[in-house]
Amino acid sequence: MPFSEVDFLQALAAGILVGSAYALMCIGLGIIFGSMNVINFAQGDFLMLGMYAAFYLTAGYGVLAFLGPYAGPIVAAFLAGPVVFAIGWVLHRFIVARVTGAGAAQTVGAGAYGQIIVTLGISLILQNGGLILFGSTPVGVRTPLSRQSWEIGDILLNKARVISFLVAVTLAAGMYLFLSHTRLGKGLRAAADNPQAAIYMGIEVDRAHRLAWSIGVGITAIAGGLVATFQTFQPYVGFDFVIVMYAGVVLGGLGSNFGAFWGGLLIGIVQQMSTLVLPYQLQNTAIFVVFLLIIFLRPQGIFGRLSERA
Amino acid sequence: MRTRAEANRQRWAILAFALAVLVLSFVLLKSAYYQLVLTQVLLWAVLSLAWNILCGYSGYFSFGHAGFWGLGAYTVALGMMYFDLSPWISIPFCALVGAAAGAIIGYPTFRLRGHYFALAMLAYPLATLYVFQWLGYQELTLPMKREAPLLYMQFEDPRGYVVLALGLLVIALLISLKVENSRFGMSLLAIKQNEPAAEAAGINTWRLKMLALMLSGALAAVAGGLYAVILLVVTPETVFGMLVSAQALILALFGGVGSLWGPVIGAIVLVPLAEGLNAELGDVLPGIQGVVYGVAIIAIILLAPEGVYWRVLDRFSKRAPAAEPPPRLAAPASNIAPLPRAPASSGADLLVLRDIGISFGGLRALDGIDLTLPEGGLYGIIGPNGAGKTTLFNVINGFLASDRGAITFAGEPITGLRPNQVCRRGIGRTFQVVRAFPRMSVLENVIVGAFIGAATEAVARDMALAALDRVGLVDQAEKTAGGLTTRELRLMELARALVPHPRLMLLDETLAGLGHDDLGGILGVIRQLRAEGITVLIIEHTMHAMVQLVDHFTVLDHGRLIATGRPQDVVRDPRVIEAYLGKKWSDRVAVPAK
Amino acid sequence: MQNSPTRRSVTAGLALGALAVPALHARSAKAQAKSVKIAMIAPLSGPWARQGQLLRQGADMAVEEFNSQGGIKSLGGAKLEIIYGDAGDNTEKAKNAAQRLLSDHPDLVGGSGAWLSSFTLAVTEVTERAQVPWLTLSYSDAITNRGFKFVFQTSPTADWQAAETLPTALKLAEHATGKRPKTIGVIQDNTASPVSFGKYLREGGGLEKVGLKASVDQIFTPPLSDATPLVDKVRSAKPDFLLLLTSAMPDCKLVLEKLDEFKLAKGKMPLVGNGAPFGSPELLNTIGPELLEGLLFSVANWPLKGQEEFIERFKKRTGEPFATQDALCGYGDVAILKEALEAAGAADKLKVAEAIRHMNLTTGPAAQFFPGPIKFDEKGRRQDVPMIFAQWQKGVPLTVFPEDRALAKPFWPSV
Repeated sequence: MPFSEVDFLQALAAGILVGSAYALMCIGLGIIFGSMNVINFAQGDFLMLGMYAAFYLTAGYGVLAFLGPYAGPIVAAFLAGPVVFAIGWVLHRFIVARVTGAGAAQTVGAGAYGQIIVTLGISLILQNGGLILFGSTPVGVRTPLSRQSWEIGDILLNKARVISFLVAVTLAAGMYLFLSHTRLGKGLRAAADNPQAAIYMGIEVDRAHRLAWSIGVGITAIAGGLVATFQTFQPYVGFDFVIVMYAGVVLGGLGSNFGAFWGGLLIGIVQQMSTLVLPYQLQNTAIFVVFLLIIFLRPQGIFGRLSERA
Repeated sequence: MRTRAEANRQRWAILAFALAVLVLSFVLLKSAYYQLVLTQVLLWAVLSLAWNILCGYSGYFSFGHAGFWGLGAYTVALGMMYFDLSPWISIPFCALVGAAAGAIIGYPTFRLRGHYFALAMLAYPLATLYVFQWLGYQELTLPMKREAPLLYMQFEDPRGYVVLALGLLVIALLISLKVENSRFGMSLLAIKQNEPAAEAAGINTWRLKMLALMLSGALAAVAGGLYAVILLVVTPETVFGMLVSAQALILALFGGVGSLWGPVIGAIVLVPLAEGLNAELGDVLPGIQGVVYGVAIIAIILLAPEGVYWRVLDRFSKRAPAAEPPPRLAAPASNIAPLPRAPASSGADLLVLRDIGISFGGLRALDGIDLTLPEGGLYGIIGPNGAGKTTLFNVINGFLASDRGAITFAGEPITGLRPNQVCRRGIGRTFQVVRAFPRMSVLENVIVGAFIGAATEAVARDMALAALDRVGLVDQAEKTAGGLTTRELRLMELARALVPHPRLMLLDETLAGLGHDDLGGILGVIRQLRAEGITVLIIEHTMHAMVQLVDHFTVLDHGRLIATGRPQDVVRDPRVIEAYLGKKWSDRVAVPAK
Repeated sequence: MQNSPTRRSVTAGLALGALAVPALHARSAKAQAKSVKIAMIAPLSGPWARQGQLLRQGADMAVEEFNSQGGIKSLGGAKLEIIYGDAGDNTEKAKNAAQRLLSDHPDLVGGSGAWLSSFTLAVTEVTERAQVPWLTLSYSDAITNRGFKFVFQTSPTADWQAAETLPTALKLAEHATGKRPKTIGVIQDNTASPVSFGKYLREGGGLEKVGLKASVDQIFTPPLSDATPLVDKVRSAKPDFLLLLTSAMPDCKLVLEKLDEFKLAKGKMPLVGNGAPFGSPELLNTIGPELLEGLLFSVANWPLKGQEEFIERFKKRTGEPFATQDALCGYGDVAILKEALEAAGAADKLKVAEAIRHMNLTTGPAAQFFPGPIKFDEKGRRQDVPMIFAQWQKGVPLTVFPEDRALAKPFWPSV
């Protein structure tokens, strides 16, 4: 199917912009997986919580109404982070900690089974609880940015998505610095590799994990708040994103936050650019094909560590 | 591994269960709705059992069993719509479809481990979902056959479906039972426990994993086919969606993963629970049923992290009469075949390495390693952390391929052979981290080593007992491994490697972390092995233990061989001292040897 | 491995499970004296819960109003009682809901639902075998292609809608641009109704009949992640007008906003939609009235002239800003069942089904709620149904065609 240079560049631009949102979500997931070795099936639902947090901050209670329709949504997206961070903190303290990390290291399979069911259970509770609390009507954060764009020649760059891209990149950089240069961040990485050894070395693994978990869901929630500025959502929206997030994290390399960012970006690019040559309906199949290819050719992902502690 | 008697009891249990279901369906349940729910319980139990065959036993978690289920459903639906094919024919055909899919998927995917494997499996059904939508199969309905309903599995009486689903479940249970009782199942469990060790013990892990996946896929596809007949409407999301894969997982994990009855328990409790919640609360406060269900599964899994079955079992076995004395093994001594003595120290070179090298990334992990081990000696490889000792073992064993050089064993080249083949040639290996099955007996833990040599289960048992005898653990053979001390665990690991009568034993840090008394015991066993004619190559850190033990040392540092010789000479070698303690010390010892 | 606890725990579990369902189900349906039972199955939880909620609002209102007006007169004033089932988020739940309702209430005389066509398919497999007449608003033609005798589709089928939509759409485009369009751009998702619609256009010769060629023809899998590549194609191919067949509101929003962003909206590119989501209050809330002004869409049912009073009552009762297809059909289905009961004169499902088959209503509450006469052919499809077009005018989507039942006059946004 022939396409022009403009089509190509436009698709590439779309891919990068869409991918940046995925990238931020993937970072959140990657932090959790990298630090705790946990597959969090509820990650998409924390994304959803972030979306609703942003929505209620701008529209519902109008807390940010004074900031106007341009700045308000962005600030709301940021604020969604701490809100969901707190929710994640509580959930980890009372439920998740029991089946992960140091607490579970003694059981067969290091609590792997429990993790899956617990996160699936949390996902169900968040989705359905969301229906009860928020109702079923799809909502969105209204901002004129979602239908305005900057123009570079013939290429149109949607403003809301560009801002989301900038925020995502900034946050990603911030996370990278945090994890590699602060004591707290380094402690998280130590607790990741070997919880038992880390305990012996005096690192409070439980707290480190709780921090990682809460940061992870918080970051994904901010991504949700950003996505909310251009997409509408309802309580069950999380599911649509979980698969994309996982593909991105594995693609980039499990255990590498840097990689998670690039993985998410790549997924977005593949998704949008595949429409140039493939029927639109196979967008997501294209993602999975690329995902599988990378897994086979380079199982550790683009930036991942070589060894895999199964 | 079960005895014949236990296996028979399980078969009776399956029969009793089947009868109970029939009574429930034909006598007790009155409405078509309950029959439908019962049918669904049985079908989901089959999917979960299918999942369990691969994942519960081998430890390779699949998040993508919806792929097989969906293929089965579409085979039946498309078959009926386009070829007027009766489900009586297409459903058994689904087994072939599922097995083929398993083979195609397994071929590339088994190169992955752990989370990667699980997530790759996730991708298959989801990718297929979109393809089916694109092909235009969004909604398929199985046409109603008013003229010949029975020919097309369209029963008026819902109990017909109950009987079919029950039949399938009984088949699934019998298959699972057979797997559990066979060496196939034991080998899968060994793979779950420690795959490299299983491979080094002679098990062809790739072949077995493929078989398990094909069997699992076949069963899942057949269940999916029957599901299509019951639901009558097939859409890509319904049969390829995440919810299906999640259901297979949740039921097994909840009920007790890796057990025969676990998936069934999960289905019996969770499917009616979810349906009941939907029914009662669905229109009262939409969404509350999901919340309750989520809370329920979290609560149960916190109470029983490995599933209900294991929790109940543990509870019961704690109450059992404490520490039954290990039953006297039937005529132990005479049954154990006398150990074939290896030709006493023929002195010929048993293992020869020439110029072995391997790189990881940019790092040269091993470089120019030459090693010659005559038969019948006790040799040590020592070196600081990161010197390449375990890498060397992995190369000898076949886990890694050297990029240059050659290895010969007993005169035959073994470079490039897979670990299970290396094992068959006569090289045994222990691993640093001993992972035992806490609930199984010592004998059961060790018996996998016998599978390559033993023609029957009885012979395998004898071989395992003989090996346990050699390490002095034969009295503990029936004891559960969960209660062993570190020393006993190390001995058990030794025993497993000994079972196939290797000529050469590679021991990887067998002495690490042992206290003084334990150390003496194991050293004694190792010396005894050497006395029986086995060549031993041992990796260790601790100088003082090695110096007592070995005839001959080789010292590695940064992938290179820096010294080789008798212990007392090597210890004084300045290069060795420098490698261990630094230049300061080696200068101090630049004193001519006594 | 011991197995005596195995068998014990299994049989215990089995007994527990066997008791669980009836125990949870202990709430038995109390049969009231002189009441007639009808059912509605709709997604009350899950991603489509909003639609289920609207159906339910319409149905509840109908039941209440009919009962307060004296119930079913030919049955001595018997009251209508409506039982709801939640179709949830997958076909298995929908089927279970149907089976449950039928088993619990063997005296059901009719029902309606389940909004999503795959749910409707699953539900009607059950109701057909139980010979319970069933009404549905789903557009997919698969529903009435199975040779079933007890299924009645109140909406015209998608291919019929396609055949009716195009001429009016062409007229719109002609008015807007001044010349007869030659090319069309089709953007649709791959759910059942748009697929049938699209199949008529392409394979059924629909486009050919009106002399159109598709210069953009895109099918996507919902949910849409980004509309940029789609709209970019529209920008490069520049079809004379655009047909949007997106059946989910979020996707409508993305496409409409992207068209605006690419400066193709507000009349620049004449555009016609199909489906109720184009008229939903949610769309208004997320996009805003300016962008929607003048948007024309075709739909199976929309508030018509003569329903003004009903609309006011509905708005007051539910707080919704306006009535939409789902609420109308919820109400209308109950009305049809009521009329059938009146005609049948007995609370008997077979008689009710027969009554529906012979129906030919042009007046009365049921006819008021649907455009065209209430008359079903032997497949269960309605005949002679005029296609309804609605247009957004000042933040409210008002019916503009057919003219005799319109609530407003259409205007043609000019380029």
